Amino acid sequence: MFRPRYFFGETFSSLKRNFLMYFTAITTIAITLFIVGIFSIVIYDVQGIMNSIKGQVEIAVYLKDNISEELKVYIENEIKSWDEVDTVRYISKDQALERFKEQNEGSNILKEIQGNPLPASFELKLNDPEKVDQVALRFLDKDGNYIEGIDEVVYGRSYVRRLFSITAIVGTITFLIIAVLVLAAIVLIFNTIRLSIYARRKEVEVMKLVGATNWFVRIPFLFEGFLEGFAGSVISVVVLYFLNNFLLIIGERAIVDTMRIKDLAILGSGNVTIFIYVALLVLGGLVGIMSSGFALKRYLKV
Amino acid sequence: MSMIEFKNVSKIYEDNTAALKNINLSIKKGGFLFLVGPSGSGKSTFIKLLIKEIPVTSGSIFVAGRNICNLKASRIPQLRRNIGCVFQDFKLLPNKTVFGNVAFALEVIGKPGYVIKSQVPQVLKLVGLYSKMNSYPHQLSGGEQQRVSIARAFVNRPPVFLADEPTGNLDPVTSDGIMKLLSRINLIGTTVVMATHDKSVVNSMRRRVVELEEGEMIRDQKRGVYGV
Repeated sequence: MFRPRYFFGETFSSLKRNFLMYFTAITTIAITLFIVGIFSIVIYDVQGIMNSIKGQVEIAVYLKDNISEELKVYIENEIKSWDEVDTVRYISKDQALERFKEQNEGSNILKEIQGNPLPASFELKLNDPEKVDQVALRFLDKDGNYIEGIDEVVYGRSYVRRLFSITAIVGTITFLIIAVLVLAAIVLIFNTIRLSIYARRKEVEVMKLVGATNWFVRIPFLFEGFLEGFAGSVISVVVLYFLNNFLLIIGERAIVDTMRIKDLAILGSGNVTIFIYVALLVLGGLVGIMSSGFALKRYLKV
Repeated sequence: MSMIEFKNVSKIYEDNTAALKNINLSIKKGGFLFLVGPSGSGKSTFIKLLIKEIPVTSGSIFVAGRNICNLKASRIPQLRRNIGCVFQDFKLLPNKTVFGNVAFALEVIGKPGYVIKSQVPQVLKLVGLYSKMNSYPHQLSGGEQQRVSIARAFVNRPPVFLADEPTGNLDPVTSDGIMKLLSRINLIGTTVVMATHDKSVVNSMRRRVVELEEGEMIRDQKRGVYGV
C-alpha cells in the first residue's frame, strides 16, 4: 500500500503547483514560531539574571571575639554538615580588616580605626537560596537569642524576601506568556494549514469518489503539513540563531562590561537555547502534521 | 442475475425531507436504465446511495449480490472501485492534464506505472481524446471534459457505471456523442444507470425508463420515452 514514489511525487508536484500557498503558510509559521522563540530566549535570560542575583544571597555569621577555638571548629563542622549549604568560608579578623581596607581605600575612616574592631565570620553560600530563612534560624536558641559564640547573623532578610517574591511573580508571568504564545502559534499554524487544505478539498472529493482509501488521501497531506511546519520552524530557528549569537550575546556582554556586574551569567548562550531550537522544530513539525490530519477529517467524509 | 437491487429503500434527510420513498427496483447485469424526473425528485439521491456517499434510512441495496448497507466504512473504497461515476460538473482536477486525471483513478487503486502507461492511452482512444492527452481541463470544451471524466470512470473497467446528468451542461450534438459513448460502454457488458431530465436523449435511445416524482417511483417502462 505504501508507495513512496507516488507519495513523494504527489507531494513535490503539489509543492510546485501551489507554491504561493505554501510560501504563505511557511512564512506565517516561521514568523509565529520566531516570536515564540525570541520570547523564550529573552525570558530564559531574565530567569538567568534572577538566578544569578539569587545566587549572590549569602548568610554572614559574625562570631564573638572571645569565642574558643573548639567552639569555632565545632560550629564550622556543624554548618558543613547541613545539606542546604554549598560552601562555607571562614574570614578571620585579620582578613576582615584587610578587606575593609581594600574597599575603603583612601577614605578617612581608615585613619580613625584603631586596633581591629571587625569580627571574624563564616560566609555561607546555599544550594537553594530560598532556604535562607530556614538556615539562619538555626543560629537561634529556643528563646530567640543567638547561640553561644555568635554575635549576629546577617542576610538582608526583607531584601531577600522581596527578591524571592518578585522572582516568583516574574516566573509565573513569563510562564503564562510562553503558554499563550505557544497556544497562539498552534492555532495559527492549524488555521494556515486548514486554509491550504480547504483550497484543495475538491481534489480530496475526487480521490474519495474514485475509490481511494482514507490513508491514501491522507499520507501526502500529512507529509505536506509536516514539511510546511518543519520548513517554517527551520527558518525561525536560523533567524533566531543569528539574532541570538550576534545581537543578544554581544548586547549582553556590553551590559555586563559597562555595568560591571560580576557573576552575571551571559545568557542565550547555554544549552537551553539549543533546547529551545529543538522544541521549535518539534513543535513546527508536529503541529503541522497534526493540523493536516485534523483539517482533513471533514473532507474525508465523502 | 441482477446487478443492482433496491429493496424497500427509503431515504429521509436530517431535515425530514423524504428524498426516496420505498423504492423497489432491480437492474440486471448489462442493463441500461434511465432515471428521469424533475429536479428534486430523488435522482441524485439514488446515485449517492449506490456509491454510499450517504447512508440509507431503511431498506437494503444490493450491488452484485452484496448488501452495501451494512458495508464497513473501510470497505467503501472497494465498492467505489467497482462503480464508475460521472457527474454533471465533471469533477476533473484542474491542475492535472487529461492523462493525469485519468491516470489518477488508477494510481488511487494502486496500479503500477506500466499498467497506467498502457491503459490510459487506450481508454483515451476509446473516448476520442488521444490527441489531447497533455491538455489541461480548462483548454477543453464541455463535451471533451465530460469525455475525460467518462474515461476516468471507465479506465479500470468497472461492472457498474453511474452517470448523474452527464449531458446537463452540454448542447444536443455533444450530448449525442456522450450517449454513443455510454451505449458502447453498455454494449461490452457494463450495467449503466443514467439520471437525466434531458428529454431528447431519453426519447432517442428507447431504453428502460424509471420515473421518479417526489421520491416515489411512478413508472417503470421497458423501451420507454421521457414523458408518457
